[in-house]
Amino acid sequence: MTVTSTSTADHAPPTPRKPRRAGWHGLVYVLPALALVAVFFLVPLGMTVWMSLHDWPLLGNPRWIGLANYDRMWGDAGFWNAMRFTAHYTVVVTIGLLGVAMGLALMVQSQGRAIAFYRTIYFLPVVTGFASASLLWAWLSNVDAGLFSPAAQMLGMTDRRVNLLAHFDTAFWSVTVMVVWKMAGFYMVILMSGLQSIPSDYEEAARIDGASWFQRFRWITMPLIRQPFALALVLCVSGSMLAFDQFYIILNGGPRNQTVTAVYKIFNESFVSFRLGYGSALSVVLLVILMVLSAIQLCLLRDKGAAK
Amino acid sequence: MNFRTLTSSFALATLGLGALPGIGAAETFSLWVRSDGSEFMPPLVEAFNAMGEHEANLQIVPVDELVQRYAIASAGGSAPDALSLDLIYTPAFAEAGQLRDMTDFAQGLPYFDSLSPAHLSVGTVNDRIFGVPFSGDASFLLWNKDLYEQVGLDPEAGPTTWAEIADHASAISELGDETYGFYFSGNCGGCNIFTFAPLIWATGDSMLSEDGRTAMLDSDGTVAAIDFYRGMVNEGLVPAGSQTDSGANFFAAFANGNVGISPSGSFAIGALNNNYPDLNYGVAFLPGQDEGQFSSFAGGDNFVISAGTDDSKIPAIEAFIEFAYSLEGQQILVANGAVPVRSDLAEDVFEGLDERYLISAEAMANGRTPYTTVFNDIINSRNGPWITTLNRAFFAESEEEMMQAIEDGQAEMQAIIDAAY
Repeated sequence: MTVTSTSTADHAPPTPRKPRRAGWHGLVYVLPALALVAVFFLVPLGMTVWMSLHDWPLLGNPRWIGLANYDRMWGDAGFWNAMRFTAHYTVVVTIGLLGVAMGLALMVQSQGRAIAFYRTIYFLPVVTGFASASLLWAWLSNVDAGLFSPAAQMLGMTDRRVNLLAHFDTAFWSVTVMVVWKMAGFYMVILMSGLQSIPSDYEEAARIDGASWFQRFRWITMPLIRQPFALALVLCVSGSMLAFDQFYIILNGGPRNQTVTAVYKIFNESFVSFRLGYGSALSVVLLVILMVLSAIQLCLLRDKGAAK
Repeated sequence: MNFRTLTSSFALATLGLGALPGIGAAETFSLWVRSDGSEFMPPLVEAFNAMGEHEANLQIVPVDELVQRYAIASAGGSAPDALSLDLIYTPAFAEAGQLRDMTDFAQGLPYFDSLSPAHLSVGTVNDRIFGVPFSGDASFLLWNKDLYEQVGLDPEAGPTTWAEIADHASAISELGDETYGFYFSGNCGGCNIFTFAPLIWATGDSMLSEDGRTAMLDSDGTVAAIDFYRGMVNEGLVPAGSQTDSGANFFAAFANGNVGISPSGSFAIGALNNNYPDLNYGVAFLPGQDEGQFSSFAGGDNFVISAGTDDSKIPAIEAFIEFAYSLEGQQILVANGAVPVRSDLAEDVFEGLDERYLISAEAMANGRTPYTTVFNDIINSRNGPWITTLNRAFFAESEEEMMQAIEDGQAEMQAIIDAAY
């Protein structure tokens, strides 16, 4: 320790300017990245906030109205219904997705040619776009021309055709199943990378000590994949809070407007009612909610061991 | 956002129709039309460009996106020079300062007095004309003559009252095997203002007051018309998919040939004749409860010029408008499903065309154009009170459920109107 500090003092000239110059150099290196962030993130964000302070029609001139858009939100039942539905959907889909993804990850974590084949199969739906997957699902769920309804009838589950998309429960579950089918492979890969990084000795030691499968999963696997799990959770929650395509394409927010999500509400305000200012204000609020949610999740899942 | 969501069935792609550059003061101008015009606009532009003097560059825009795309293009300084605009939007565009004043040009036309008054009235803001009539779009019933014949109904006599619609539909549904008596898009606001509202108007009632400030979803005529549709749904005369059809099947269901009767519009004549020449269909008015009553939606496009369009392009654009108003232009429009907007030429225009075109024009003449500044919010929106109420009520299992839906919808619609005025 002493040796090191002495040698530093001897050989490195005491230049207080050097770190500053290094900082300046560093700034030059990150400048392109900063410029990208500024142009594609900060400027649009600033514009959104700016627009949210205006009565901003799609055509015509904006008018400054201060915080009136934010004030209006409190009395907008449509917005709160949309938020409530979005939260409901987020909880259900996150549990479903991470549960299925964890199951898949446990199944495909080992090596082998057959395993690689299954991994690919499970991952395949991820590369479809949400819009195309939704269109596919809308067609499959169509009562007259689709697959699900006639199949259920043939299997004797119902005696008459049921329009899945016409009732909240069936419509909601139809979309949820689609999202799980489409996205589980993505979270599987994240969780799998975590599982593979666990040294196998831990597992062996626990096994020798007589720990059951569940005990090993709970006390060895879960704590050790905390970080990839936190990543998957934050991605899944924020992705679900921003859900739009599937509800717009498959359900049109129906039946009875029960599946209008927060982003759908923002879309309606901005591009159906042409109130861009109000739409921007809603976006800003949604952004703040998302930031808070993500911060809470990251805090809860912070690796306390590593922090010490 | 539109009266009908025909988008899915037609040209989503942009369509550029070029021609050889002309001579002299030839000008090229850009022209937009919503996808509903994809039957009549391309042949008209082609004929105009073939004259070789000027050139119109046509772009077909999906009907749901027209307003947004225009606003974005306009903000970026690349608005189209001219536009065939859904007449409902003309006042909003004009008030936002987006359109060029066309008063002098319009009033200078020798046949100005015979141009469609309904179009001109929405095209006029503060006594200045910002949009001139371009194409008309009426709504009516289509019936499949082959299916009528199969079940022993007179194939030349379409339904003239609600009761007849239900009777005929019931007879055709007897055929079974995926054949249904009646089809409507049960989750499409635009489709239903276009084809269901006229059933209400035919009774003399309405779902919205003349000045657009009072919601009347609970009026007697509205409730009766809703109950009429609900009855047909209950009896199984309508395919189950109708309940969740947000317009994708509005046209396709009838065109496929296994639906007896379906409400539709002028555009369907062009589309059916051009694309389904074997379908044997008739056109009847959208009737009321009693014999002799009928109505229609009076829709269509106004032709407008963007405020920022360069003066040098105006002669070319005016030449295009005058070409559309010429006998040849009107004939092209009519043959492809549009209702003509120049009444003094009607006799020549309809010469040689069958009765279906005449019914379409007569329906238009008896049509209504509801106007309210919150049209999109209450009528066209997929989540607005108009379609939400109709959807709940049409497919309600009991009368109480239907009345509850109507009551809720009435309150919601009035609340939106009140907030706007």
